[in-house]
Amino acid sequence: MTKKRERLEVIFDILKEISEHHNSIRPTPLLRRSGLSSNSFSEYYKELISKEFIREIVDERGKKYVTLADKGFKFLEKYKLIVGFIGEFEL
Amino acid sequence: MPPHFFDPHILIVEPIFTLAVVIFCFLIYFKTKESYDLTKYKGIEYFRDAFLFFGLSYVLRFFFSFVFFSTIVFNFISPREIFAPFFIFFLGYFSTIGIFYLIFSLVWKKFNNRNMLIFGHCIAVLLSAISFITGSHMMIIYLQCILLAVAVVLSFVIHIGRKKVSKTKLLYLLVSGLWLINLLVIDRRKPFSSGLDIFFEAVSLIVFVIIYHKILKWIK
Repeated sequence: MTKKRERLEVIFDILKEISEHHNSIRPTPLLRRSGLSSNSFSEYYKELISKEFIREIVDERGKKYVTLADKGFKFLEKYKLIVGFIGEFEL
Repeated sequence: MPPHFFDPHILIVEPIFTLAVVIFCFLIYFKTKESYDLTKYKGIEYFRDAFLFFGLSYVLRFFFSFVFFSTIVFNFISPREIFAPFFIFFLGYFSTIGIFYLIFSLVWKKFNNRNMLIFGHCIAVLLSAISFITGSHMMIIYLQCILLAVAVVLSFVIHIGRKKVSKTKLLYLLVSGLWLINLLVIDRRKPFSSGLDIFFEAVSLIVFVIIYHKILKWIK
């Protein structure tokens, strides 16, 4: 049985997915790749939008894409260190 | 005329050590700000708040110590009598909540956070009120000793089965224990040697430097 992912790990996985798709992915494939239920994904998605980690863009054909915002890039950059810090102090 | 056991050198050394401890507490607080802003992780929040409150406690301890000093050197009784209970109240509150937040940072995943915070603040206010009414900083020490003993027992119960005691918990125990010792030696009228005072201040500083150094390993 796989271990339930921590909140930070889930956020990292979502942001990494976007980053690995050249910073542009449609919401449905992102949901599929996130490994979350649609309700759970929807909560994370709204949270990431409201906290300006990601943003939605609509192309000229009206299709919605998700891209990383500055905060999202920063999170990806710092994630390993933050997790190390949390582990070091058993937080 | 100051009593014979009062060493004026401590007047120079103590503020330097206290200031250094305060600086390190606030450095820890501000250095971890970005990590908290990015993650809103509860453990980081409690950890940061613990050092913020310890920093404030050391600031107040310094002023409290200064009031004691003025009592002895200038034989100036009234300021102590007027201000001491208020210092004791805030000193008790900030330091108790500092100890609580350190404990919270370790156990927050196992408890309801809202109830845990309310409980912590209620205990801190109660403890400070008792100290305020009795007008003695010794009361803070007795009550915080009990709190610390409960925290140690709780920590062992929660992590029962683990063979090794983690270095982090030992560091936290040192932070809290040294705080209590530093509070105990605050009363200059007691026959503590100033060498012992400075020793404990120096050890406290070393502990905070170690924590800050550990943080720097992860947060550049």
